[in-house]
Amino acid sequence: MRNLSLIRFVFVLILLSATEFSIAQTDQTKLQPVTRAFALTNATVVQAPDRTVTNTTVVVRNGLIVSVGKNIDIPLDAQIVRADSLYVYAGFIDGLSQAGVEKPGGNQRGTDTSRFSARSKYNPADPPNAVAGIQPDAEVRQFLNPDLKSVEELRKIGFTASHVVPYGKMLTGSGALVLMGGDSPDAMMLRDDMSLFSQFQGADRLYPATVLGMMAKWRDLYRQAEISKAYETKFSENPSGLERPVYDRVIAAFYPVIDGNKIVYFKTPSVLDAYRAFTLQSDLSFPLVLAGLKQGWDLIDKLKSTNTRVFLSLDLPEDAKTKKNEAAEADSTKTTKNEKEEAPTFMTETEKKALEARQDAFRKKYETQPQMLQEAGIAFGFSTLEADTKDIRKNLQRMVKSGLSEAAALTALTTAPAAIMGVSDMLGTVDAGKIANMVVTTKPYFEEDSSIKYVFVDGKMYEYEVTEKKTDKKETDTSGK
Amino acid sequence: MIKILIFPLLFLWVQTAKAQPETGSMLIKNGTLITITNGVQAQTDLLIENGKIVRIGKGITVPKGIETIDATGLYVMPGIIDAHSHIGLSAINEATSPVTSEVFTGDALDPLDVSIYRALAGGVTISHALHGSANAIGGQSETIKHRWGVIEPDALKMEVAPRTIKFALGENPTRVYGRGYGMVPNTRMGVEAVFRNAFAEAVAYKKNWAAYDAQIKDKKQRKTAVPPAYSLRLQTLVDIMDGKILVHCHSYRADEILMLLGVLRDYGVKKVVFQHVNEGFKVAPELAEFGAMASVFADWWAYKFEVYYSTAYNAAILIRNNVVTSINSDSGELIRHLYHEAAKTQKYGDLTDEEALSLITINPAKQLGIDQYVGSLEEGKDGDIAIFKNHPLSVYAIPRKTIVDGVVRFDIEKDPDDVRLYVDPEEKFDQPVMRVSEEKCMQGADLMEFLQAEK
Repeated sequence: MRNLSLIRFVFVLILLSATEFSIAQTDQTKLQPVTRAFALTNATVVQAPDRTVTNTTVVVRNGLIVSVGKNIDIPLDAQIVRADSLYVYAGFIDGLSQAGVEKPGGNQRGTDTSRFSARSKYNPADPPNAVAGIQPDAEVRQFLNPDLKSVEELRKIGFTASHVVPYGKMLTGSGALVLMGGDSPDAMMLRDDMSLFSQFQGADRLYPATVLGMMAKWRDLYRQAEISKAYETKFSENPSGLERPVYDRVIAAFYPVIDGNKIVYFKTPSVLDAYRAFTLQSDLSFPLVLAGLKQGWDLIDKLKSTNTRVFLSLDLPEDAKTKKNEAAEADSTKTTKNEKEEAPTFMTETEKKALEARQDAFRKKYETQPQMLQEAGIAFGFSTLEADTKDIRKNLQRMVKSGLSEAAALTALTTAPAAIMGVSDMLGTVDAGKIANMVVTTKPYFEEDSSIKYVFVDGKMYEYEVTEKKTDKKETDTSGK
Repeated sequence: MIKILIFPLLFLWVQTAKAQPETGSMLIKNGTLITITNGVQAQTDLLIENGKIVRIGKGITVPKGIETIDATGLYVMPGIIDAHSHIGLSAINEATSPVTSEVFTGDALDPLDVSIYRALAGGVTISHALHGSANAIGGQSETIKHRWGVIEPDALKMEVAPRTIKFALGENPTRVYGRGYGMVPNTRMGVEAVFRNAFAEAVAYKKNWAAYDAQIKDKKQRKTAVPPAYSLRLQTLVDIMDGKILVHCHSYRADEILMLLGVLRDYGVKKVVFQHVNEGFKVAPELAEFGAMASVFADWWAYKFEVYYSTAYNAAILIRNNVVTSINSDSGELIRHLYHEAAKTQKYGDLTDEEALSLITINPAKQLGIDQYVGSLEEGKDGDIAIFKNHPLSVYAIPRKTIVDGVVRFDIEKDPDDVRLYVDPEEKFDQPVMRVSEEKCMQGADLMEFLQAEK
């Protein structure tokens, strides 16, 4: 009897310490998880890009939006967030990133800086798959970590879910749609094994090193997979008397793609990358999504005729103002006037002006790319890959200033990516029944002096400090960069 | 409602319209036509309709709505063809394996490369976008038309051109693999071994697949047939042996050229063009007997040890021995004055005008297997034209207009300072740029070039 009570005592102790431990580990908002119910009262709610309601209350419970409306009952246990002057949006969805993904250790690009070390170690014609970047069998869930800085950075600017893929080279493995937050790697998971990711990233002086080798390798692997898949099907129907098919994890990773059940997400920043991905797709006919596209203005007809879905890059070339500031700064660092005069001139002022005019014209193309696609009726989302998170809001504002409607921008951040990834029933709008992913701002999101006050991920609230005079600060920040 | 109806219709139309290269129509009036295959015809007109030459003659009346180009006092010749070039490519060498028959420069085309425009400014309408010479068996290569202005890489392709592939002998493969990686081939013997091993493997591959195909056709055996491993690399070698791909082989020394002829004979490969082939003059009768062709420089040598034994008479000697010979550029600079390179054969070897110009027109067309479409001014051929002020073999020759498929792609009178199709908004142009100039053939193989190619 005494024994039993002792065991009970120890058990309770363990339980207590365990709960305390988990709170200390996961709660970064300094908010005690007293309740999983919230009520944002009296807010302007942009439920969807084309649906805005004012003086409305949103109730969240257990990770879900349970009701949106006026004069609705607020549960007794709900934490009340007075949102009278605030704007509520659906949490943004990122079509492609590596936020929350650990870089694998070992002999990978970035960790091994010696150009020649690979040369002595491996046969360049036949390097191991892991070194060559042929890892379609890898899975991003093996590398997830909600505590990485990249997660917080993306969340802070309103992204609540992202399609993430493993690091690597040409074929890095399967991607997943994950939440930008969670108590554990598994808790981030929304949809596992959603895509096969590929990019034109060659192995350093190893096969395949160039776009030549990569295109050939893609075809070779895919055709191998088609043949062995057919044989495996034959074998599984009646194995008796048949040689056992040799299992190859790299080849097997293509089977769901061949079936059309898994989409290939190709990172194609440049127009040529995009055309090369199209070449592979038309040769091999797999389902394709282009992601991280920066130069899409000449691709509009192609995107339309192939009905290809696309995630545009949120990276933009530096704006002219920032560039000029930098140049001025570089000038001022020169110690004497003499030095300035001695600097050789390579061109006349007229030539320089002409070159700058062409650069301006192309900068405009990058900025108006989303607008052009939208006017052509092409559905698109955004990708944060390759974009500096600090620039993303500014870049979105530049796109809007260049003519993209705010509704279209919001569509690309919410409902369009949800539709492209087939999760419209879970994400993308502020409606009862959806996952409680939301962004709460002090002013409409695309206004320059708008700040993010709260971000909800999976019904968990993250609060951010709203700094006054934010615009002034930003100005000095960018010029001093 | 109307909108809803129109949208799917529009969609259908776009999908069925396959990307066709842009063609044009024009009448080139009163020029001196250097036809290459049918002499020089003074004060003659040439009519192009929808990208094809439809009539050559005097006093052709202008069909309605067709532009006329007055070529009075000008020379009109077929567009120049370069059988060895690396312009318009994002990558040239997959310099990681001595055999890379599976790779294809058609996958790496870069229509934004301004070298294409510069080539047009030298009257060149077609070039052979060759893989580099780092590998004994390099990549398949694409014949491109210089349709400057297109953005889609496939729009550069000359669709009717047969498949080609690059081979390489001598110092380049031994330098990259022997000296660079410490592997085969380290010597010229090793290069031969690479060819023989590769073809022997391909023979076995072909046999395995033939056996499998036979099993599949047999009702009894079908059940237990196991498909052999697929290999795009070996399949391409099989296609070479089956005569579906023309071999273009980087070569210098006579002994090696004879070596490769021996290898090709053993594996039944009949079509070969030797590139550079600086010692071709030593084995010209042997080349002619095999039916091998030669694509040479006019007077460029001594840039590495195996290229010292050379002569500017090479082209003339080959021609006089009945070897189909062309003069190529292998360079974004030389490609701008191939007409001048061809003229050098008149100083060194006394070739006739027609012979000299055939080196950059009909002969390279034969070497690329496209002579039924281009390379001379004939009715039915493509409207690829170069118009010169002064005779193209004169040192005073100036290309005035270059026309591809009946579309003017270069016009000296409308030649803007900045023709770039894509401009990098972040590029710093007011700073000096270090340029590393090296043999393009080896781009991707040497460290400096590798860095450059990687950008």
